Amino acid sequence: MRTLKLTGQVVALAAVAGLLGLLVWRLTHQSTPPKLGGPAPIFTAKRMDGVGSFDLASLRGKPVVVNFWASWCAPCKQEAQALEQAWRQYRKQGVVFVGIDYHDVTGDARRFLDHHGVTYLSVLDGSGQIGDKYGLTGVPETFFVDRRGRLVGDHILGPITLQKWASAFHQGVQAALDS
Amino acid sequence: MIVRFAAVLVAALGLAGPAAACAHPRTSLNALEGEIMCPTCHTTLDQSDAPAAQRIEVFIRHRIDQCATESQIKDELVQNFGAGILAAPPRSGFDLLAWWLPLGGVLLGAVALAFGVWRWSRGRGPDEAPPPSGLDDETERRLDELLARLD
Repeated sequence: MRTLKLTGQVVALAAVAGLLGLLVWRLTHQSTPPKLGGPAPIFTAKRMDGVGSFDLASLRGKPVVVNFWASWCAPCKQEAQALEQAWRQYRKQGVVFVGIDYHDVTGDARRFLDHHGVTYLSVLDGSGQIGDKYGLTGVPETFFVDRRGRLVGDHILGPITLQKWASAFHQGVQAALDS
Repeated sequence: MIVRFAAVLVAALGLAGPAAACAHPRTSLNALEGEIMCPTCHTTLDQSDAPAAQRIEVFIRHRIDQCATESQIKDELVQNFGAGILAAPPRSGFDLLAWWLPLGGVLLGAVALAFGVWRWSRGRGPDEAPPPSGLDDETERRLDELLARLD
């Protein structure tokens, strides 16, 4: 009887320890929004053009504009052409644009790119894991990463075509170029 | 007359064609809506009007029209959005644990409760031996005699 009681206690303790472990794991793995000046969350994702995968870390040494979008997002349609124009303008200075297709049906996303004539690199984030790393609140959102892999400039929460974000976008690209 | 009959026949075949093309019973959007999550609002599709949910519904309708089975559609959605798109984990492989663990926990709890109740009821039984008094036999006998005399 004593052995049975002891076994019960051990099982109960193990269960509590397991639950506690799960809680700690959850708390330590919760994504917190990245800080300005801090390292940009790195990620690896499938390329939309089907040519393998893309790793943000491979762009270390280059200024990067990271834009989250989705084909179902109306403001993303508004800014698509402006982003393409900006990419054509800044690529001569070595700036790389990366579009991240967030929580989207891949077929819709490909049609979106074709329709808006987007030619810069786009990658898939169907599960939203990359968005979580960046503390995304919605789409579109745009981040700027400098040559050292740090987040610089203002984090743009909306289409870059909005008047309030237009200058912040160019300042962000400039900050990524300058540092 | 023959031309009209042929036109009607062609039209009927045209309408019946897509339905007859499926080698298995078609699934429906209604059947899937409650089992697929909207990735941006974290509710099932049938409870969401979010643009992302609407696009997924369009995708599902399109795949149903193409005779895709329920499991094919789910597999494609998981490939696109990850396993989190399913409202419930699959009933196979490691995910089976998610189904069995709660059941196991409930059973274990029931067994533990039953055992506790059984022990408790045994401890309060009328035929339980009295706790030892700490007196030796001789003293106990004399105490019994004294108590008998008092009665």
